[in-house]
Amino acid sequence: MALFALLVILLISLGGGLLLQWWPSRYQTIPTYPQRAPFLGGGLPDTHAWSRYHVRYYPMTLLLIAFEMEMMFMYPWAVVYVAEGMKAVMEMGMFLAILSVGILYGWREGVFKWQ
Amino acid sequence: MAVSWLSRLAAHSPATVFPALGMRGEEAFYRLALNPRVKLVDSPRHASLLLVAGGVPPEMQESLRQVHDQLPAPFTTLWYQSEPLLELQQAGVEKLDSLEALPDVLVDAHRKTLRGELGASPRLLPDKPPNPWQGLGDDGHGGEGMMGGVPYGRPMAMPPTEDLRDGLALDILTFRLGPFFPLWPAGLEAEVTLQGDIVQQFAVRSPPFPRTLAPVFFEARKQAAPIARLELEWTRYHLRALFHALHLAGLPDLALRALQLADDCDLAKIAVLGKRFKALKRSLKCRGFFALHLPKRGALSKEQAQTLGGYAARAAGIDDDTRAEDESYRRLGFSLIAQQESNTQTRWRQRLAEIAQSLTLADRAQQDNVVTANLEALETPRGPWRDELPKDASALLEDLLPGLEWGEALATIASLDLAAASQWPREAQEKRGEGAA
Repeated sequence: MALFALLVILLISLGGGLLLQWWPSRYQTIPTYPQRAPFLGGGLPDTHAWSRYHVRYYPMTLLLIAFEMEMMFMYPWAVVYVAEGMKAVMEMGMFLAILSVGILYGWREGVFKWQ
Repeated sequence: MAVSWLSRLAAHSPATVFPALGMRGEEAFYRLALNPRVKLVDSPRHASLLLVAGGVPPEMQESLRQVHDQLPAPFTTLWYQSEPLLELQQAGVEKLDSLEALPDVLVDAHRKTLRGELGASPRLLPDKPPNPWQGLGDDGHGGEGMMGGVPYGRPMAMPPTEDLRDGLALDILTFRLGPFFPLWPAGLEAEVTLQGDIVQQFAVRSPPFPRTLAPVFFEARKQAAPIARLELEWTRYHLRALFHALHLAGLPDLALRALQLADDCDLAKIAVLGKRFKALKRSLKCRGFFALHLPKRGALSKEQAQTLGGYAARAAGIDDDTRAEDESYRRLGFSLIAQQESNTQTRWRQRLAEIAQSLTLADRAQQDNVVTANLEALETPRGPWRDELPKDASALLEDLLPGLEWGEALATIASLDLAAASQWPREAQEKRGEGAA
């Protein structure tokens, strides 16, 4: 019975969502093919837009994630630090030193330069 | 078609207009840009009205059809000092020649279109895929290559060619842009090849439409003309160019300030123009126009700068200004301003320095009512006018732009004045338009 009620709720939610999507657009005409073409000031593309493209901010994104992970590690460390004391500080110092070498390497490779 | 409450509400908003500028259409554009009841948009997808301002040559009519059919329904087309396309002539389209009446007509057409009171403009191109899917199977499925078939009939953007920047070869993307692309001069049509965001090739298909000059420049070649008027028209010309550059840089409020200042370039307001320009220049600096939006790239060689002439040549360190040959200008204390390197940033520094100088000269010349002494040569804002008017120089983009990022390329084009100077003065054309009406 509970499963049936869940199914009904799911169907009602789905129907409501579709209705909400359809209602404002019920008078809108479907865009024609020329309207769907990319706007190039009257010009046209020669090749398809599916092309391999270099995401040049990718190394910076990876670096951001690395820093984020570091912060994630520091929260539980702050709890352990109360119990462990100097030992925990040493361990965190070693971890940060290794990360710093990585940052210096990234800096040398030019990852901080926005392209 | 039923009209929703949303459309009724939108009818009270400013008229969203996509301007397709033809020859001599720029006056209407600048007038409308200052009108708060009209909003000029950069894409037909955001417009309810298509305004074709100025004459469109026959070879560009196919491009105009493309732009026309990219407006979302319902929309209306208006033709200002322009002849409608053949297919639309029977559809009872609205033509007008009066610049004064244009904003009211646009606002009215916008309101009526959204309320459904005005017949929407018909579609001109067939509603079918321009490049249907070409697969090998019976149902158009499958094919050769990485993606299986030729999607929408266009070849895939490959193979990669040698990269211009860092050796990372990417797929190349070729497209034709213009002649109604709003972020560069009207009429300019080019075939662009990008590799990633780097311009790999740039071929000009059609040069920009000639720019009109104020009648005072034509008077000054026939008889002595007041220097104050000449310098104010000079200022107006460059401030209008600044409007485009600021719009491109994403600083619309500063762009409107520059255009408003250009509109106020009048002998009666000459005393306050200098102060207002200084305030604008301070705002440009504070908002990072020079530091963030103008790359130190797109440098012209001495030969290219010499070909282009005018402020671009002076920005490249070439001391060439026909005003220095005029005795009256020398009496006003005119001194030639020049930079060392003609890149995008120095060209704008040169232009702004010349605007400030023009306003000072205009103020001094008005006090003593000084007129020009040299009829043999004249310095127009586009360049020197000796035996003939400055010619089109858009071909130099083909050497200048490859290697630049797309944003830098657009900023470089905005910093240059490439179109030829029209042999017809500005107001004379308006009178001809009124005569035709």
